[in-house]
Amino acid sequence: MPVIACAETAQRRTAWWLTAPALGLMVLILLIPVVIAGVLSFTDYSLGNDTFNWVGAKNYDRLFSRSTYEKMFIATFTYVVTVVPLSVGLGLGAALLINSMGRIGDIYKTIYFLPVMATLLAMAIAWEFMLHPSIGMVNRTLEMSCGTILEIIPFLKNGCADRFPLWLGDKDYAIWVICFIGVWQGFGFNMVLYLAGLTGVHRELYHAAEMDGAKSGWERFRLVTWPALGPTTVFVVTISCIRAFQVFDTIEAFWPQGGGPNKSTYVMMFAIFEKGIQQNLIGIGSAITVLFLIFVMFLTLIQRWLVERKVHY
Amino acid sequence: MTRDLWKHLILILGALIVIAPFYMMVSYSFKSPGEIDRGEGGFFGRQEMMVDERCVKLRDPDRDDVAAAAPRFPNQTDSQIRDALVAEAVADCQMRPIAFNYTKAFTEAPLLRYLLNGVIVTASIFLIQIVVALPAAYALAKLKFWGREAVFSLVLFCLLIPVHAIALPLYIMLAKVGLTNTYAALVVPWTISVFGIFLMRQFFMTVPDDLIDAARMDGMGEFAIVWRVMLPTAIPALLAFAIFSVVAHWNDYFWPRIVVTGNRDLFTPPLGLREFKGDGDGSFFGPMMATATVIVTPLIVAFLVAQRRFIEGITLSGMK
Repeated sequence: MPVIACAETAQRRTAWWLTAPALGLMVLILLIPVVIAGVLSFTDYSLGNDTFNWVGAKNYDRLFSRSTYEKMFIATFTYVVTVVPLSVGLGLGAALLINSMGRIGDIYKTIYFLPVMATLLAMAIAWEFMLHPSIGMVNRTLEMSCGTILEIIPFLKNGCADRFPLWLGDKDYAIWVICFIGVWQGFGFNMVLYLAGLTGVHRELYHAAEMDGAKSGWERFRLVTWPALGPTTVFVVTISCIRAFQVFDTIEAFWPQGGGPNKSTYVMMFAIFEKGIQQNLIGIGSAITVLFLIFVMFLTLIQRWLVERKVHY
Repeated sequence: MTRDLWKHLILILGALIVIAPFYMMVSYSFKSPGEIDRGEGGFFGRQEMMVDERCVKLRDPDRDDVAAAAPRFPNQTDSQIRDALVAEAVADCQMRPIAFNYTKAFTEAPLLRYLLNGVIVTASIFLIQIVVALPAAYALAKLKFWGREAVFSLVLFCLLIPVHAIALPLYIMLAKVGLTNTYAALVVPWTISVFGIFLMRQFFMTVPDDLIDAARMDGMGEFAIVWRVMLPTAIPALLAFAIFSVVAHWNDYFWPRIVVTGNRDLFTPPLGLREFKGDGDGSFFGPMMATATVIVTPLIVAFLVAQRRFIEGITLSGMK
């Protein structure tokens, strides 16, 4: 019947009209840049030049041979490997504690979520004051322990005898401070996701586990809660990883030049910013971008694979 | 009971660490430079009158001022008049530290302008995201057309790409068309929210077909259906998405840092704060913390008022 056929064509046409803007922007803003980064990573292009030379895999060679980039990988992976387990673990711990205590727990939930809402750059500056070697709140608090029983702790003893760490100025501490702020900022987000996950765990399962002899709280957690939180954990770990890879604000705020003492906090996002944008070395910046995308996509694909295969109960 | 006590102790310790920088930020924004240096004054500081040195320096009397003031001080030497004028300036430049910090925050840098930019940018991003994503989500959820599966797989693929990661090629593209240092540069990369499309599509899948068929019977076109039928049904999801989007872009520092260089008129609040930090000396801790407080406050207050909605919105990405 021609009328229906006609209506179908009309619907098809409108459907394309409705998706066209989104489709166009997706290609223009997300896909083309990925291709551009891929292509430019094999060149020595810089903005302002009309031409460029193909340099083969030289940019990638550099990434894997120069010590600067070795430091970049070390800093990035140290950050990810520290922040992800800690923020996931603390998020889960806080969620379990809060979940077990009823309405009073909501106060903690609100407080722990505050850093997620706050502008990270502003909070980074606040932390910088907190960590100021002489007038910062952290070292002042530590100084208060001098002359008390707490001095038996070696760290405090050394601090009292000599001086407390410079924190941000010290290459042994800088990356750990960054990690700490990362955990401080991110664990509340994970906590909220876990709290949502916990509401989905059926009470009957606990009773059943108890009948089967799971008496201690740990047993119940191991047998019921943890498996039931599987899908949440997969998601929380993936999103924490992706966020951790993108750390930038704190580092740029503390060390606008150069990525920290002895480049100990020279993470990938900062490297892209410094090489690609500030120094106009687009080739090397693009190569870092490509590696970055590979890491992130790889992580997300693992997540999707896990979600589809394993964690449905 | 004792077990609960332990739980509270642990959680309170955590809460203290979480709150510490907020406490310090707000507290410093109340205090005078001296109090900050010496670490005194509790939370609010003592709020003793302090003298704004810069204000005094600006009013430093020159010879004309002294001559002009001569009638007011008859029978006095020039240097006596000068001293009297300086004393007047000092008296006029006295302020409470809290007033000093917050007025400096707004006068040393065009903070209002930055806040306005922040509002303009986040609002435009959100509106364009909706205008682009909603029709596409409707088509993907409710219309049958050839290529629908392909488009949807593309959406799923694009979910893998974080926009921050491709900042460099985006920056090059914008530079090539001469758009860096414009509002457009701040907004354009965020106009497409693949996540928004995905989310809205999932939501529209749950809307009954009858509703749409009824609208068609009434002679509504597909465009009208999107905006007059689907949009109102999607309000709760849209609200959650709005919170998600606004929080992300109000707080974003990386992207504005890349595309806005030097042109203060385009600074978003985090950029403004960054610049403040860049040229601040020791005595400006107070005003800087006042600026930080002003920037952080709107979202925190909104969050405290509508907690449940905010948590919903921020954790949207976790919903399946």
